[in-house]
Amino acid sequence: MVSLQRTIRSIRRVGLREWWRQMQYIGDAKSGRFVGKDQFGNRYYENLNPEEEVPGRHRWVDYAQHDYNATQVPAEWHSWIHHIRKDAPTEDRVMQNLSPPWKAPWVENLTGTRGAYRAYNTVRPKYEAWEPKSTPRGGPSA
Amino acid sequence: MSLSHFHSALANAGRRAALRPQVGVYAARQLHSSQRASSPSSIPTDSTNPAEPITQIAKRGSNQLSLETPSNKAEYVLSTLDKIANWARQGSMWPMTFGLACCAVEMMHMAAARYDQDRLGVVFRASPRQSDIMIVAGTLTNKMAPALRKVYDQMPEPRWVISMGSCANGGGYYHYSYSVVRGCDRIVPVDIYVPGCPPTAEALLYGMLQLQRKMRRSRKGVLWYRK
Repeated sequence: MVSLQRTIRSIRRVGLREWWRQMQYIGDAKSGRFVGKDQFGNRYYENLNPEEEVPGRHRWVDYAQHDYNATQVPAEWHSWIHHIRKDAPTEDRVMQNLSPPWKAPWVENLTGTRGAYRAYNTVRPKYEAWEPKSTPRGGPSA
Repeated sequence: MSLSHFHSALANAGRRAALRPQVGVYAARQLHSSQRASSPSSIPTDSTNPAEPITQIAKRGSNQLSLETPSNKAEYVLSTLDKIANWARQGSMWPMTFGLACCAVEMMHMAAARYDQDRLGVVFRASPRQSDIMIVAGTLTNKMAPALRKVYDQMPEPRWVISMGSCANGGGYYHYSYSVVRGCDRIVPVDIYVPGCPPTAEALLYGMLQLQRKMRRSRKGVLWYRK
């Protein structure tokens, strides 16, 4: 639970600089075991002590990018952070040994950029822009 | 006999040509299309460098990047003001509920305890005049369409529309029905399409986050200044 004691304890553990970063990005003073870092530089933490972290908030990610979003977490770490797999990919022997060869590199959601997915489409646009057609004043008699 | 043999050889040649793997597609395409700005191979499709993530690479040379990089002091001030306005907007998105069908139940789940939309400042308003987002949740019928447009017209600017579920996106299951609009984007301009039948509350919440992203991209002041 959020308390002054917990905040002070976290600051003493992680340091003022890291605490400030956490307040900017996570909005809470958290401290826990550093589990690993993925290929994008996102850092993953865990704290299983229910006195320090509410169960359900015990695994978290510290994003590397300023403009963060959830798709920056690659599939392996997604399965850890969502408790699909018990162990993190750095510790999980199964995941290390059974990585499928056809697996493509992870790319985050590129919506709104030039890299956004566009389906192949040959269909005529569903609607056209309105082109106003007006008859000139004076009518047909003029 | 020789003639028939000749014929079969021709046919085989044609078939072989058709089945041959297409090599040099790009070269063939360049003959008929306008010049590419850069070759497709020079742009990486993924990046693990946190200093230059893939989103930065994908924005290269776009109008959006040009808007986001101020070129003089006035633009700097205006883009900062834009960012403040964007921050205020994305922190209190008030959706107008337009629950039409089963998607509305998932929309209610987004408001409920588990996916708690209040933590994002998303509060449902029953009045279009006090809301800035419309979530079109469900099948839009021909009979409902004028009402939807009227509600949209009553919303104050700036306004956004989230189309939720396959029925609202493109008619979905009722695409061939005589009484259903084939996508609410025929009636109102849509910003975010959430796929699914119905989409989960999680998916809708992700759509809200994507809309926040879209709001953050807005640089209306800079655009006005450059014009």
